[in-house]
Amino acid sequence: MTTAPMPATVPQTPAELERPLLVANLRSFGWISNRVASLSEGPAPLWWWILFVPSFLALCLLGFCVSYQISTGVGVWGNRHPVMWAWDIVNFVWWIGIGHAGTLISAILFLLRQRWRTAVNRAAEAMTIFAVMCAGIYPALHVGRTWYDYWLFPIPNSNSLWPQFRSPLMWDVFAVSTYFTVSVLFWYMGLVPDLAVMRDRARTRARQFLYGIFALGWTGSNRHWSNYEKAYLILAGLSTPLVLSVHSIVSLDFSVSQLPGWHTTIFPPYFVAGAVFSGFGMVLSLLIPLRKIWKLEDIITMRHIDVMCKVTLATGSIVGYAYSMEFFIAWYSGNPNEGFHFLNRALGPYQWAWIPMVTCNVLVPQLFWIKWFRKNLVAVFIISILVNVGMWFERFVIIVIGLHRDFLTSSWAYYKPTPIDIGTYVGTFGLFFTCFLLFIRFLPMIAISEVKGVTPQSDPHHPLGGAKVAESVPDED
Amino acid sequence: MNPANPTDRFDISRWRKLPLQLMVIGAVLCIIGGLVDAKEFAYSWLLAFMFFLSLCLGSLFLVMIHHLFDAGWTVPIRRFSEHIAAMLFPWMALLFIPIAVMAKTIYPWMNPEHQHEHAVIAKQPLFSVPMFYIVSAFCFLIWWLLSNRLRHWSLEQDKTGAAGPTFRMRYYSGAGIVLFALTGTIAVVLWQKSLEYHWFSTMYGVYYFGGSVWFTLATAYLITVVLDRLGLISDALHEHQYYFLGSLMFAFTVFYAYIHFAQYFIIWNGNMPEETYWYVLRERGTWWYVGMVIIFGHFFIPFLGLLRIDVKHIFTWMIPLCVWAWLMHWIDLSFNIMPIPHPQGFPFLSLWLHFGCWAFMVGLLSAVFLRNYNSHPPYPIKDPRLVEAMGLYHPVPTQISGGELGEADDLRDAPPQFRQPAP
Repeated sequence: MTTAPMPATVPQTPAELERPLLVANLRSFGWISNRVASLSEGPAPLWWWILFVPSFLALCLLGFCVSYQISTGVGVWGNRHPVMWAWDIVNFVWWIGIGHAGTLISAILFLLRQRWRTAVNRAAEAMTIFAVMCAGIYPALHVGRTWYDYWLFPIPNSNSLWPQFRSPLMWDVFAVSTYFTVSVLFWYMGLVPDLAVMRDRARTRARQFLYGIFALGWTGSNRHWSNYEKAYLILAGLSTPLVLSVHSIVSLDFSVSQLPGWHTTIFPPYFVAGAVFSGFGMVLSLLIPLRKIWKLEDIITMRHIDVMCKVTLATGSIVGYAYSMEFFIAWYSGNPNEGFHFLNRALGPYQWAWIPMVTCNVLVPQLFWIKWFRKNLVAVFIISILVNVGMWFERFVIIVIGLHRDFLTSSWAYYKPTPIDIGTYVGTFGLFFTCFLLFIRFLPMIAISEVKGVTPQSDPHHPLGGAKVAESVPDED
Repeated sequence: MNPANPTDRFDISRWRKLPLQLMVIGAVLCIIGGLVDAKEFAYSWLLAFMFFLSLCLGSLFLVMIHHLFDAGWTVPIRRFSEHIAAMLFPWMALLFIPIAVMAKTIYPWMNPEHQHEHAVIAKQPLFSVPMFYIVSAFCFLIWWLLSNRLRHWSLEQDKTGAAGPTFRMRYYSGAGIVLFALTGTIAVVLWQKSLEYHWFSTMYGVYYFGGSVWFTLATAYLITVVLDRLGLISDALHEHQYYFLGSLMFAFTVFYAYIHFAQYFIIWNGNMPEETYWYVLRERGTWWYVGMVIIFGHFFIPFLGLLRIDVKHIFTWMIPLCVWAWLMHWIDLSFNIMPIPHPQGFPFLSLWLHFGCWAFMVGLLSAVFLRNYNSHPPYPIKDPRLVEAMGLYHPVPTQISGGELGEADDLRDAPPQFRQPAP
């Protein structure tokens, strides 16, 4: 080692490599509070009602389908031998997957110090909770006698039955319920400072009372912030392994079996990547219209969209790697059943499901390598929808194609969903969007306090720091 | 600065001859080993090769993700990672020659008596002798292209600091990460998994990747400490490099365990003989104890050792842990490779030969690394993100938003113009 130490100089960053600010146009703290909080104040806009009414009607459809199914039996679904798992598990896995982006953004990206997460984490966390609610409906119904669902938990019952802990479905019960609980806690805890903002801005006693109750007496003191940040860090640390474990456990529903196409060792990380992929698809689908309608372009900037597109590209490529490995090892193993299964996926009677799966999940996201697509909101929105469509087909391909041609040729069958299957699925969209619309109507959909923390003026050492910015850039609205 | 971390410069002049000494000792032991037992030598060489290959590939991965993530903190560690990655060609390719020559001794599927088995026929044309060499050459070609171009543009960046080289490196990293996944997987399948050609696992490429990056991060930590103590990168370094390297190592400790456990658990649950035999072999003789060493030494010890936030800055804690990672990674790879020639148990009697192969490679690669490192600036001196790496860019003061309070105030080795005046 003879090289002399280099002289210390700080190179000038070329203009094209400057990092854009996370809140555009040097918006002040006051502007951020006003902009976000005002969305939940005053009468609901017309577009909100236009979306809410059909969502609520779809929720009523869910109520009808579920009631009909419980009162009649699972025979109202299209599940027939050998396809005994079908839309119920497809939709369960799909909804659970969608929820993953919320926890990834709020927990993992927090630990990775990705500051851009602050603009999108609140809505993504809410999306997680509602998606898990939709997902939870399916296993609860699928057991058949829904009124005995409590037998899934290790609590004393009349027949002294004890859960079969060797079954992956039991692991699902614990994984999903723990995930839901921690997600709600994380979401609610993050809301507390913003609920205090809403309380302090409230003009009616009812709003003051309700926001006040849930704000838990938050005053914004140093002690409150100190405890809050510690709790946030702990919950992020707890949520991180949880989010990875949930979809890993969901993947074990399939991979611990001996079925060709299901029994494959790459399933746990592949499912996690797929879940994050579909979750980001849904986050983009929801936030692109919302930022436009509610003029949030200065908070959810093009930089945020760009980064989320890159996450979608990365996770889509991991999913593509997993698809390739499945095909490669099916060939490499020399196992004729594995080989047949994968050929059956690509060339069999459900080819119509396999083609959109590969196209939407692997090929379409590759467009995000090109900057033009990441900058074009219409293109991003369409691709994000295609991602969700593709991921639904992925679950359909794994489950239905995995089952419809089993080892006994005489029992091969072609699965078709019934109107109740379709109605239940449409109904879960009703549940999801009803909850989401109520959320954006009554709660701050952007984490106000966290977004303020990523503005330059929040740094007392920053040249633009302090109130100077607020004074120099007047708020237009 | 933590009292456990001495700040005085360290003198390595007495270690100058160490690489050459290691090469000579290693070469002598390898020659003796080759003469005594050519087969044992072949497997020992393969093990040492896969060990150092994982370091070079892991370094290539670190360089590429630096560009793909547009990271700031990784700037000071990027240059030495580029030099390690650049050893993939020609040096690792040269070290592959003995494997290429002794392939028929190492890989049972190349043996004519196995050529008619279904497991080999099904893998045609990949499992044919010509394809073995063609695919191997293809992998080295891709690695040469990536490592060479990334280092080239990094050195170009040193000259001007313009944006062009940064965009070039991003371009190579974007295409490179796809090629890396492809070639890394096929190489490990062909050179390591094919030792047991009846066995298959879709996870195997990810498994090798997870262990490799873990081991590379431990190495990067050690090299950073040494270069810092030599004063070569201190100006560009902030404490957070140590913290982030330690945190990433912690993350990959868990990731590796997750991957390995998932592979084991799914195979154990499926309980199909064509898969379970791989693990059954490794539960016999002393291999069972090796498996236990991996569970506890590769996961629990580093997991618990890295769990606390503050330990990532304590060199007296981290250095032994990083050295431990070298040992564990070697044991992990031996758990994959050595049950083939030694199904009865861990080959304690041939450890001298393993040491010989390892010493020769580490001596050679260290000499190459030192020569390259001395020929160029010790870190990317005009990288646009250098200011972030130095801890002088601190737009965010709160913990919740991911910043660090007063990052610049306690900057140990800040350049003079940025140093805080003495109170």
